[in-house]
Amino acid sequence: MVNPSIWKKIVTVLGVILLLLLLIYFTEGNYLRVTIVDDLLLTYLTPVQGFISRLGLGTVGFFQELFAFHHSQQENRVLKEELASRENLRGLVLELQKENYRLRKMLDFREHSAYELLPSEVIARDPSNWFETITINKGSQHGVKKNMAVVTPEGLVGNILNVSPSSSQVLLLTDSRRAVSAIVMRSREPGDIGIVEGSSGENVYLKFSNLPPEANIQPGDIVISSGLGGIFPKGLVIGTVQETGLDQYGLLQQALVLPSVNFNRLEEVFIVLEFPFKEVEGEEEGEE
Amino acid sequence: MTAHNSSDKLSLKAYLVFIFFAVIILLIEGSFFSFLFSRGTIPDLLLIFVVCLAFLWGEKKGIVLGLIGGFLQDLFFGPAIGFFTLAKMAAACFSGFSSREIYKDQVIGPMLTVFLSTFVHEFVVFSLVGIFWGNRFSFFFALDQIFLPKALYHLVLTILIYPLLYQAEQRRFFSPVSYK
Repeated sequence: MVNPSIWKKIVTVLGVILLLLLLIYFTEGNYLRVTIVDDLLLTYLTPVQGFISRLGLGTVGFFQELFAFHHSQQENRVLKEELASRENLRGLVLELQKENYRLRKMLDFREHSAYELLPSEVIARDPSNWFETITINKGSQHGVKKNMAVVTPEGLVGNILNVSPSSSQVLLLTDSRRAVSAIVMRSREPGDIGIVEGSSGENVYLKFSNLPPEANIQPGDIVISSGLGGIFPKGLVIGTVQETGLDQYGLLQQALVLPSVNFNRLEEVFIVLEFPFKEVEGEEEGEE
Repeated sequence: MTAHNSSDKLSLKAYLVFIFFAVIILLIEGSFFSFLFSRGTIPDLLLIFVVCLAFLWGEKKGIVLGLIGGFLQDLFFGPAIGFFTLAKMAAACFSGFSSREIYKDQVIGPMLTVFLSTFVHEFVVFSLVGIFWGNRFSFFFALDQIFLPKALYHLVLTILIYPLLYQAEQRRFFSPVSYK
């Protein structure tokens, strides 16, 4: 006969598993956060997170500079010895030039954009490899709301998933929970609307699917948001078509899209606070 | 809550020290590591921390640490509450059970335990993603591209982390609890 204490343990373990599964089920959509703990953690740790992320970026930059410096040092040994001491300065100037160019581009984008944009800094990224989310340093106290679109001058990044007072979580386009209604910029045929979502297996690419077999699409075409659904403004660049083909059933067309945004090197983004578009009621979570 | 000397319960100090380190690790993982390892696998330091402590303290305390650590991860990055909680509890439970027959003063045992616990953790995550959102990876792709690289990373990092935790434990850093 089985020891009753073993049964007790089994029932306890199964109970905990069931409880956690129910928790996941009830919190995954609207994400009912444990407000006090969550607000406390995310609000007060946002500056710390910002500091550590800047430290991380600085370290990456440092190593990049270190490798560049090492390379130039080897060259300089052959050419002139005195140039080696100036290489560091050159690297710093180049880095500042790059930063200047990037910030100018962002400023230009903000000034010429038709939308009301809020600049924000990326302070964290989901480290689990299973989800594609980033944390930014703007939250509800800055006017950020759930589902707002997030963009860069290069194109569409994703949308706001969760908001806390001083930070927000952004669901990237590359996450499998995100799907965006899109069209081809060249043809702009209303019938050629498809869905762009994270590509299985390949993090780098997006999958543009559900296109009619006669859709006018070819490699090199630029894919833009269609504006359907009301989350994303129409015309935001998503990426460039790399290859086209039929889906596994041979009924619909699909394409592999290289995103215009480099999701691995996101540092600054813009939140679209407002755009001239009528919102559509009753849309489904995670899909336009 | 008061401090306990029994081998079944952790003191308040142990919980607080664990939570403090878990938060620091999550901050480093989300900010520093995600920029440092911008392409490819990011090691899960929190998992190594939880699994190593579960190895030292046994499955009962390990499950509690997995629960707290996973819950914190869910608050920071999780797609839902309970997601990483369940995965970290499973990994800690596995580690705690496996430590029964392995010497704790040598690093090879915990290295293998962390290696295998990573598979347990990632398998639970893979299954939960599949149940709730649908997997974008096939199982074998995930095994090859996520499970294995992460487990190898963790195997190497355990060589650095476990001796520190073992020494901390010997000096009763976490709490004045007694062990077999």
